[in-house]
Amino acid sequence: MKSLLGLLLLLLATPVFAGEELHIFNWNDYMSEEVVAGFEKSCNCKVVQDYYSGTEEMMAKLQAGASGYDLVVPTQNAVQALIQQGFLEKLDKGALANIKNQDPGFLNRSYDPGNVYSLPYAYTTTLIGFNEQRLKEQGIEPTGWAVIFDPQILEKIKGKVTVMDDADELLGAALKYLGYSVNDVDEKHLREAQQVIMTAKPYWAAFNSSSYIKELTVGNIWVAHGYSSDMVQARNDAMDAKRDFSVNFILPKEGAVLALDNMVIPKKAKNKKLALQFIDFLMDGKNAAGLSNDVGAGNPNAAALPFINPELKQLAAIFPDQKVLATLETLEATSTKVRRLKNKLWTEIKLK
Amino acid sequence: MQGKAWYKYLLSLPPMAYLLIFFAAPTFIMLFASFRYAGEYGGLAPWYLHEGGRLTLDLTLENWQRLLETDIYLRLFLRSIGYAVATTLLCMVMGYPLALMIARSGRKHRDLLLLLVILPFWSNFLVRIYAWMIIFSPAGALTRMINGALELLGMGSVTLMYSPTAMLVCLVYVHLPFMVLPLYANLEKHDLDLLDAAQDLGAGKWRRFWLITWPLSLPGITAGSILVFIPVLGMFAIPDLLGGTNGIMIGNVIKQQFMESRDWPFGSVLSMVLTVTAVAVVLLGSRLGARREGR
Repeated sequence: MKSLLGLLLLLLATPVFAGEELHIFNWNDYMSEEVVAGFEKSCNCKVVQDYYSGTEEMMAKLQAGASGYDLVVPTQNAVQALIQQGFLEKLDKGALANIKNQDPGFLNRSYDPGNVYSLPYAYTTTLIGFNEQRLKEQGIEPTGWAVIFDPQILEKIKGKVTVMDDADELLGAALKYLGYSVNDVDEKHLREAQQVIMTAKPYWAAFNSSSYIKELTVGNIWVAHGYSSDMVQARNDAMDAKRDFSVNFILPKEGAVLALDNMVIPKKAKNKKLALQFIDFLMDGKNAAGLSNDVGAGNPNAAALPFINPELKQLAAIFPDQKVLATLETLEATSTKVRRLKNKLWTEIKLK
Repeated sequence: MQGKAWYKYLLSLPPMAYLLIFFAAPTFIMLFASFRYAGEYGGLAPWYLHEGGRLTLDLTLENWQRLLETDIYLRLFLRSIGYAVATTLLCMVMGYPLALMIARSGRKHRDLLLLLVILPFWSNFLVRIYAWMIIFSPAGALTRMINGALELLGMGSVTLMYSPTAMLVCLVYVHLPFMVLPLYANLEKHDLDLLDAAQDLGAGKWRRFWLITWPLSLPGITAGSILVFIPVLGMFAIPDLLGGTNGIMIGNVIKQQFMESRDWPFGSVLSMVLTVTAVAVVLLGSRLGARREGR
């Protein structure tokens, strides 16, 4: 209904706009409408947004030949795959004056050395959200992945823990717990990680990537493995509902997965100039901060920091300092062979 | 006469074409895909190569070999079949008396009772599953009541959410109407004079049921069982949402192949096995039904 209405409004609005249109393909709930309105005003153009909820969904749509998007916001491993497929346009850095605002810590990463095709947009981490009071009652002080993997700790919170229903994320967490890289593809190390998961599995309530915000907020689950932006939401929801407990989260000391989302321009884009203009607009400190404040995600823009909501900024798990940042790793694109191996390990985990 | 047959043919053409285009063709495409290589970025790799101006086929049996190289997929199928059999039996045990009661009640009540059976379909499947998640949750009234009672009896508490029990309850809940409706359609058509005749000849209540109603209702049971068994076999949403750490069925693994691991060929292999299993069950069911009727 909403989209129908939107379409209607769009049809009505079209004649008014003699200007150009910018088509964006982005993660859902990952854009600040205020910032978009600001851009529309400054460029005298119209921004048309389309959303996706999973990397595979986005890749499938682009692969099926969806053209007409001028700007896409994929996560780093998808950027790597899109580059390898020759899908992306090189960014004209000359047109991007605000590039100087980007925090160098988020540039020149292995998925796009030299940021030839992509520039960071925002980021989330995969971490541990928990019920402060219930864990305190059990005498548990969560600091690292042990809280979801160590049977001695899990013994006290059996059936109150959920982990992500995502092979890359969970195997990545187990690899980190063992001291390996999240991108380790050595079968022996992956087997070890599988063993860690198998040992901990009897203590978990479920594999859950979809409803852990609610379960944490209601108090059904005391420890959840999930995305930082979701944990911010769970924390706020529990506060708003005036529960007799509070939800908090920590970045495990061993390090974790960092999901760095990027702005890229497809080769097939119709309005590359406008897309570049929008990228530059988003790299302006105030606009970047507006985005962060609205969606509760970390920001790779140094000039944005002064404008970010102080309450959000002081959260170490959302805005990690350089030392913590060094422990975070982004997931890399994997080959068919590795995906098959991981899937087999995953099916075994689920079945046993 | 001939004109009539022609009409019949014309009328059955659209559904036939529909099934051919949307069932038979995709099944063959999937069968073909199961012999192809996966594309590096999802999808499928080309099935032919140009080599020195000549076309060579690039097909493989490795996807089928993967199915057999370990026993996990066999166990996965057995587990899914186990859930499907259990759900079908539970639906039968609960659905039969219900269908019989509706079929034997007065015309006025019958329509209302039927409406009540269909009522759950008025809300979306996922919404109903989420409702069950709330009912089963540790903070929910049902769980608190059960655990309160257990505590009074000096027993430990139970967890309902994320368990095989929760899955089974939901599977039965969702599929019960599919058992009740065909059974009702069958039971409603029974000639009640047969029962009167049996009574006149001295048959008791149970004898009348076992010798008349039960054998006559077998086609209804077969139809209901097929309608329950097959969707449960391929179910993935319920194990995903309620299944807990062991809640996995073949449908979940097929979904994983097409989504997370971007491995269409192996997903096709598993889908083919599932399709063949489902077809085998239908054939077995209809053969059993036919034999009973023939007797």
